Amino acid sequence: MPPQEPPVIDMANRNLRDGVNRCPRCGSTEIRLRPETGMLTCSFCRAEWSEARVEEQFGLGAGHGELQGTQVASGAANLCYDTSTALTLKCGGCGAEVVVDVAHAMTARCHWCRHVLSINSQVPNGAVPDAVLPFAMTHAQAVAKIREFASKRRLFADSTFKREFVPENVLGVYMPYMVVDARACSEVHGRGEITTRRYTRGSGKNQQTYYDADVYQVSRQVSFTVDDLTMESSAQRAHIDTKVNTNNIINAILPFDTKNAVQWNAGYLTGFTSEKRDMDVSCLQPVLEDQLMSIGRSQVQPSVSRYDRGVRWDAEKLDVHGTRWVSMYLPVWLYSYYHVERGRAMIHYIAVNARTGETMGSIPVAKGKLFFASFSLGTVVTAITVAILLAMLL
Amino acid sequence: MIQLLAEILPQAALLAADSSDGDGGELALLLAGPASGIAFYWFVYRHYRNIDKSHDFERKTAIGAKPVQGWEQKIDTIKGTRERNTKGRNESTHRTRVKRVE
Repeated sequence: MPPQEPPVIDMANRNLRDGVNRCPRCGSTEIRLRPETGMLTCSFCRAEWSEARVEEQFGLGAGHGELQGTQVASGAANLCYDTSTALTLKCGGCGAEVVVDVAHAMTARCHWCRHVLSINSQVPNGAVPDAVLPFAMTHAQAVAKIREFASKRRLFADSTFKREFVPENVLGVYMPYMVVDARACSEVHGRGEITTRRYTRGSGKNQQTYYDADVYQVSRQVSFTVDDLTMESSAQRAHIDTKVNTNNIINAILPFDTKNAVQWNAGYLTGFTSEKRDMDVSCLQPVLEDQLMSIGRSQVQPSVSRYDRGVRWDAEKLDVHGTRWVSMYLPVWLYSYYHVERGRAMIHYIAVNARTGETMGSIPVAKGKLFFASFSLGTVVTAITVAILLAMLL
Repeated sequence: MIQLLAEILPQAALLAADSSDGDGGELALLLAGPASGIAFYWFVYRHYRNIDKSHDFERKTAIGAKPVQGWEQKIDTIKGTRERNTKGRNESTHRTRVKRVE
């Protein structure tokens, strides 16, 4: 018997179709996002409008306590790797046929009549998510944030980095994420200890502190719901290893105000770049379970505060009762710097959350300079302590 | 820089004092120099590279939890140990996985 497919929440934007995506007031196709307002704007008549918020449109803000099984939104469905990345659209303006390579862009301009053609249907290659959270910070604001972040880290920054630092090169990127609601139950078992007596033995330099303690077998269980847990759905970004990459920087600017995400419209991407999702729900399930177990452990921590010597959890259990998966594009201003150190290359990121302004980054360090400063400090402190010791002895 | 030093020096002194619990203050004072140098290097490196930063999803995600249930039973007594803490305590390291049971 074939495995049962999870139920799908259809989140495709039915108001739009592939091809000419017109301004509702004047019919122009010159549509782009205005970050100052978070609205789509027409470059001709200045009309402003927005797609519907998915939170209300699809009831994503409710029903967490009743989640059962795995529910997957249509834009988060399994990817088809054999899908052709070239789609042919018939221009609604002049009738010409225009090919859009959806591997690289979701819009293309008709070379005959100059209309902008958009891909709005959910092609199963990860390029069209269920929802998009529009940029709310302008390029100038992002540049200021990055400059401020780097200026606080100038003294020990690598000299080449300082010389080549051009924050104006920051790029607006829509990153692919899975936003998950979940209902789960976590259980942990271990042992905890409570101090019953603290005393010293010996005298002078041989004085030692000893402890008596009671040992307990401890178990805890907590049921909880999680609203909008956000996980990277690009394998490259999800691979976080600070020895070889700085992807943790992009991870650290989470969370986003995902409650304000709106239905897909290719117009939101105009002027920005985007990365495609390449991970399915099944790939992300272990990541989700790992994070739910961490949340469970965090939730039970206050309940074991009486064990003053600590608790050692030896076993943990997780029952996931229900999950709901929605794919989203979230906005990031990303500054990249390619740095090679002793033959090892690494891309250092400074990332700005384009909704909250949260900024995090990795600045390459001038290790020789830092070592010299640390050694000098250690020498000065040693000289002071030796002087104190000599004064005590004399 | 001054802010960093103010943060580091007391910690370096604590580190040195920890290493000499009951063995005399002289060794602690001697270790304070190298300890402060190492601590300074580590703090500055971390401040620039932010290798310890990641999404704090345990606290920054909206979680609706029911009251924690649990039980405990005294199983043993320890007498005269020099260990300050339970060996392998991990109640605050939420992301370190332990054996998963079904």
